[in-house]
Amino acid sequence: MAKVNPEFATELTKYGVGDFNACFNCGNCTATCALSTNDSSFPREMIRYTTLGLEDELRSSLKPWECYYCGECSQECPRQANPGELMMTLRRWLTAQYDWTGLSGLLYRSLMFTIAALLLVAAGVFLFARSTGFDAETMLHTGHRFEMLAIGAVFVAIFIPNLLRMWYFTIVKNGVKAPLKHYFTALSELFVHMFTQKRAKDCDNKDNFRWLEHFVLVLSYLSLLFTTVFLNWFGTGSLFIIVLGYVESFLIFVVTTHFVSDRIKKNKALNTFSQPSDWLFVIWLLLMGLTAFAVRLFIDLQLLENNLWMYIIHLTVLAQWALIIVPFGKWTHFLYRSFGLYFAKIKSMQKPA
Amino acid sequence: MRQRIGVYICHCGGNISDYVDVEELSNMFHKEDGVVVSKDVMFACADSNQKAMVKDIQQYNLDAIVVASCSPKLHLHTFRAVAARAGLNPNNYVQVNIREQCSWPHSDRPREATVKAAGLIRAGINRVAYSEALDSIEIEVKKAVMVIGAGVSGMKAAIDLARSGNEVYLVEKDYFVGGHITQQEKLFMTGQSGKEIVKKLYEEMKTYKNITVFTGATVEKVTGSLGSFNIEIKVKPRHINGKIDKQTVKRAMDDCQVTVKDAFNEGLTTRKAIYKNYPEALPDVPVVDLEALRDHPDFLEKYKAVINPNEQEETIALLAGSVLVTTGFDNYEPKEGEFGYKHIPNVITLPQLNRLMELSPEKLIYNGKEIKSVAFIYCVGSRQKKGENKYCSRHCCTSTIYTALQLKEKYGKIQNYHLYRDIRTYGKQEILYERASKQGDLFFKYEEKEMPTVEMSGNAISLKVKDYLTGKKEMEITPDLVVLVTGMVARADAPHISGLFKIPIGNDKFFNEIHPKLKPVETVIKGVYIGGTCQGPKNVSESVQSSLAGASKITALLKSGTVMGDPVVARVDADACTWCGKCAEVCDYTAIRETVTEAGKQIAGVNKGVCTGCGICAPVCPVNAIEVAKYTDHEIEAMIDGFAVKVDIRTEEGSAVTEEKEEFVAAHMKEYPQIWKDILATIGTEQKTIPEVVDALNMDPEMVTWHLMTMNKYGVVSPAGTNEKEAYYYYKFK
Repeated sequence: MAKVNPEFATELTKYGVGDFNACFNCGNCTATCALSTNDSSFPREMIRYTTLGLEDELRSSLKPWECYYCGECSQECPRQANPGELMMTLRRWLTAQYDWTGLSGLLYRSLMFTIAALLLVAAGVFLFARSTGFDAETMLHTGHRFEMLAIGAVFVAIFIPNLLRMWYFTIVKNGVKAPLKHYFTALSELFVHMFTQKRAKDCDNKDNFRWLEHFVLVLSYLSLLFTTVFLNWFGTGSLFIIVLGYVESFLIFVVTTHFVSDRIKKNKALNTFSQPSDWLFVIWLLLMGLTAFAVRLFIDLQLLENNLWMYIIHLTVLAQWALIIVPFGKWTHFLYRSFGLYFAKIKSMQKPA
Repeated sequence: MRQRIGVYICHCGGNISDYVDVEELSNMFHKEDGVVVSKDVMFACADSNQKAMVKDIQQYNLDAIVVASCSPKLHLHTFRAVAARAGLNPNNYVQVNIREQCSWPHSDRPREATVKAAGLIRAGINRVAYSEALDSIEIEVKKAVMVIGAGVSGMKAAIDLARSGNEVYLVEKDYFVGGHITQQEKLFMTGQSGKEIVKKLYEEMKTYKNITVFTGATVEKVTGSLGSFNIEIKVKPRHINGKIDKQTVKRAMDDCQVTVKDAFNEGLTTRKAIYKNYPEALPDVPVVDLEALRDHPDFLEKYKAVINPNEQEETIALLAGSVLVTTGFDNYEPKEGEFGYKHIPNVITLPQLNRLMELSPEKLIYNGKEIKSVAFIYCVGSRQKKGENKYCSRHCCTSTIYTALQLKEKYGKIQNYHLYRDIRTYGKQEILYERASKQGDLFFKYEEKEMPTVEMSGNAISLKVKDYLTGKKEMEITPDLVVLVTGMVARADAPHISGLFKIPIGNDKFFNEIHPKLKPVETVIKGVYIGGTCQGPKNVSESVQSSLAGASKITALLKSGTVMGDPVVARVDADACTWCGKCAEVCDYTAIRETVTEAGKQIAGVNKGVCTGCGICAPVCPVNAIEVAKYTDHEIEAMIDGFAVKVDIRTEEGSAVTEEKEEFVAAHMKEYPQIWKDILATIGTEQKTIPEVVDALNMDPEMVTWHLMTMNKYGVVSPAGTNEKEAYYYYKFK
């Protein structure tokens, strides 16, 4: 027995847009979706659950993560109910559901809260800079330490508990009893999807260029992270590492600039209804690339000593990124989507032959 | 007996003559007794031939003609007109159908077709020999119409009929006009109020002197027929002193403390014993409910100037040339306990909700509690697979969705739930459906085999539905109010009206038209028409459309003051008839009644205006005293005799069909000699199935199938049972 809760629809609209009430359940969206299968059909079911407010069903569903938002369903919808955007909205809602701190939901629902959080972090960085007496050496050193610390802390305090919650909602509560062996066999799925977004290529619109851009961005971002944190890009003397960092941050800058311009132009279904969280993610990623590039350039041109403001800006962007966007914002889709597909694989292995 | 008969046999440009030897036939009938002219013509219906026929009739002084051509549905009237133009009675003409009934169905046997055509034509000649010169029956009609039921359909039709110059008697059973629509605060799609529409129509009716409205009136007795229906109506008294001024009446109304349940408000409220359905109800004269005031003699005494308890009901006899029945519908009344109806407090019907909404201007309050959510259960009393009402009630989906929109518009935050089977907001009404779903109404699809259930759980209603849109998941809804969407049913008094006028009633208990497409407002009773929802569920527009169609039909019928009827009616041999009454018993149209001849003999009398010439009376007469004109025993027997005469036409041996077959076989053998030879060689002396032949010859299965079928058609091979799995036919060489 499922209890109907029409209030949920109002709650969900805070996470995005979608005229899902207009849906009359024809199922054209599901029929047209290239990723929907007999065993896992969407998006109609998700729309239905949403309009009826079946939160438990939604929370335990992995289907929103199976969608890569080509926008075909929204285009084919005879009622302009925009199922594609609903799937996007559900992903935001799910992110908030997985987050044990509740901060994620607050950030999605309230722009004011997001701005306040960003300002707070900026103020913290400024205070830190002042406490060092604006000493470049100390700041660079601490900044590097902060990066490592932040990665570790976010992983331990946020990601691991949140992924466990996700596992609990989607596997345990769904009654899936998978032997440990399955978790290992399915691991390949996790990494393939995490790093390649392979499934997006199955989307109907066959936007291979966009896929390539995203792929390059993921790789550049991850390797820049590695370069700065573990190879100490800002402190290294190795020419190879210096050039590598330049290339990586340059690529991030180029791809994100393109993504931002796409969002401004609204030329694809997936960037027509940008939410603050989407803007924040892509702009901050762009700023990361840009400021990292600039900082290293300033170091190489020996300008940094006298232009410490550059590093303070970079550190502010970095701190906001690491403390807000990565643990609670859109960055998490990197994890949740790949884990979503990983869990879906494990679930599907349960099915009797 | 007609002795100078003209026979015309048509080629129909080859349609007939390609198979039937029309020349041979025309030569043959030259020699027939009584036949003066016998011709075969290329197109009998052609203008030149029609002229030639007129000339023949006049020149040879023909007294009857037979045309052997196509179906009388096509050209009966053409040749009747030819006869009339030549001064011959149109009834001295017989059409013989040798195309649809001969050349077309027997194209494979042309010689036999010719023999059959000869029989048909001879039957026609024999029949026409006995034909009589009958004149059409002229029926005088009074230009007066009775419209029964003053709902929107009846009122609108009455206005149209009056405008066309007919005297109109509008008879309404209730004390006030308007019917069901006055119970609607707003009507889709225009949003007008029903009361407004009724007021407008009433004002318009008042401008016509030739409309008389009877309220509180019922039809009691009907005699007569098309042109002059004698109808008795009974008018119930209002018990209001007609001479008293309105102020005093109003004072009495205000003073009245006696109340009874208010049927107009679907029992949601009470009304006074002196009442109007609603303040602006028309005619603007209240009604005294004497029954309710029986125990209040002081009140009667106090207002004796206003109330006239002694006013009696009146019987009025009216004469109408035609009748339009627009008696409308009843709302389906759910059974006790059906979805908790009458068992659970907050379960009401849609008509009740509509009244409740009009009576609640600010907040929607029912049973003392404000309603925040409403669940509608659709198709209650409609589309019952096993129940009585199998039909879809048509208007309710739209009506409900419109109500749901009104709920939100009027009371703001209300959550609507719709439990439907299929949404049928056809036509423009689809816009309402879209609007409802966009405003956040939730729709659940249920099936008849898994009905929703309504129960109380604590103080709240628990509505459970297996939702087919969510994989049949069972859903629980807790609405404040459950509304049963009830459909339309035939009025409880429909059998009474049907009995009086003999209007047939369908399986759905509504009145039946003759033909849903071709005669949509006509009944089998001449002069009686139906309009609006007495015929079946309709919305307001459709009701008005049909009643106006009826009004137009009636106007056309009564226009000239007389109606020409077909002379094909029953007639009685006064000498032979003994008035046993058997014919009157079987007559579906009550066209036969006992009459007395001038000589004082009791016999059966046929009302020619009512008789349809169906002929059911003829075979039941024990003394053979009743017959139908144009279908007399003489005519029918002569036809049989004519058809039975042996025809002297050679059906040559080795007829054309066999020749044709051989030609075909040869042609195909020539076309595919090798394939056919191969197939036959494969089959040999045994029998083979298609797959076996396919395997042996390594050919395309479709090709083999086609060839074997063709070979079978021309008798080269024949089927010889099926193989073990019964999957394929065996074929063998024939």
